[in-house]
Amino acid sequence: MRIKEGFTLRSIVGQYVVIGEGIAQVDFNRMITMNESAAYLWQGVEGKDFTVEDLTRLLTDKYEVTGEKASADAAAIARKWIDAGVVGE
Amino acid sequence: MILKRSYRVAGHVFSLSLESGDWIWDALGNYEPFLFGGGEKDLFSLELVQELDVQDKRELYVSNPGPGEQRIDIHTVDGGYLFELAPLPDLPVCGWLKVTEDFSRGSLKTVSSRVFCVNNALMLMYAFRTAGLDTIEIHASCTVCDGRGFLFLGKSGTGKSTHSGLWLKNVPGAWLLNDDNPVIRITDGIPRVYGTPWSGKTPCYVNDDYPVGAIVRINRAPHDEIHRMGVVEGFASLYSSASGLRALKPVADGLFNTVSAVAQKVPCYVLDCLPDDEAALVCSKEVLGNA
Repeated sequence: MRIKEGFTLRSIVGQYVVIGEGIAQVDFNRMITMNESAAYLWQGVEGKDFTVEDLTRLLTDKYEVTGEKASADAAAIARKWIDAGVVGE
Repeated sequence: MILKRSYRVAGHVFSLSLESGDWIWDALGNYEPFLFGGGEKDLFSLELVQELDVQDKRELYVSNPGPGEQRIDIHTVDGGYLFELAPLPDLPVCGWLKVTEDFSRGSLKTVSSRVFCVNNALMLMYAFRTAGLDTIEIHASCTVCDGRGFLFLGKSGTGKSTHSGLWLKNVPGAWLLNDDNPVIRITDGIPRVYGTPWSGKTPCYVNDDYPVGAIVRINRAPHDEIHRMGVVEGFASLYSSASGLRALKPVADGLFNTVSAVAQKVPCYVLDCLPDDEAALVCSKEVLGNA
């Protein structure tokens, strides 16, 4: 999967948000808020193709977390991004 | 003979040039309160032309207007951008605006609906050119009360103007600054709202400015209730009503910086309301108390 073109991660008062800014997203009139670990994952896969395994690896690299938990969290976040329309499968 | 007039809106100076005898000058009375004597360099200039030289035209953005809304399609061309303007979705293009990449110079060719074209060309150039200058053009109605400006946001048809009208009727001392496109500019750290020559269907062209007291998003509902939003929610609310071509990074960066600064400094609310007197009373009681 891959982050769709035109979505930018920004930070406002310590809260991360993804905003549709590219020409492809001019009519995307919503905003996705993210916590710090989601923003970290986003930055880790920005501009490239990625899998749930890539997200899992990013999580286990940075956080003290079991592989099983990381894998479940990674799958959940990928699903959330796809449902929100910011990531294409 | 070409006549050039300069105007100043929210402190930004721009000019318009066209034939001195053209009847269109008489139809641009909305700019008169903003006439500027000169002395300051134009931030951007627009001239009306008979012919436009357009080369290497490539589609950048095709708009998807709702019924009754204007259509503005955008292309990249050699040396900048080309905007095609139509007053309604199913009417043919009646104006072509070619602007330099930095939006400092524009040439406009029109075949009909000339006033619509001039107004929209200036609004577009203004929004894009000032995006990096702590300035945002907001689709809102703005009422002044107690020396502060209150902006009402909402999608077309939600009742922004109606709500302003309810303030004028029910809140002592309230008056209308602008009914469609006021400008917010941050000066010395304080967001101020300015009247502009662009006020939608209401002829209200006031060259004056006030600190922003609050920003209220209007939602139609079966009751009257107001809630204060957090900074991120307030940001999202204001951002979706700010004009600007977000596909261009400098414009997107400027918009983000200005909107997030305003959302941190000004209380933002959402008002669920009916179009009734009670809505203005519920709203004004809350926002005037906290402004």
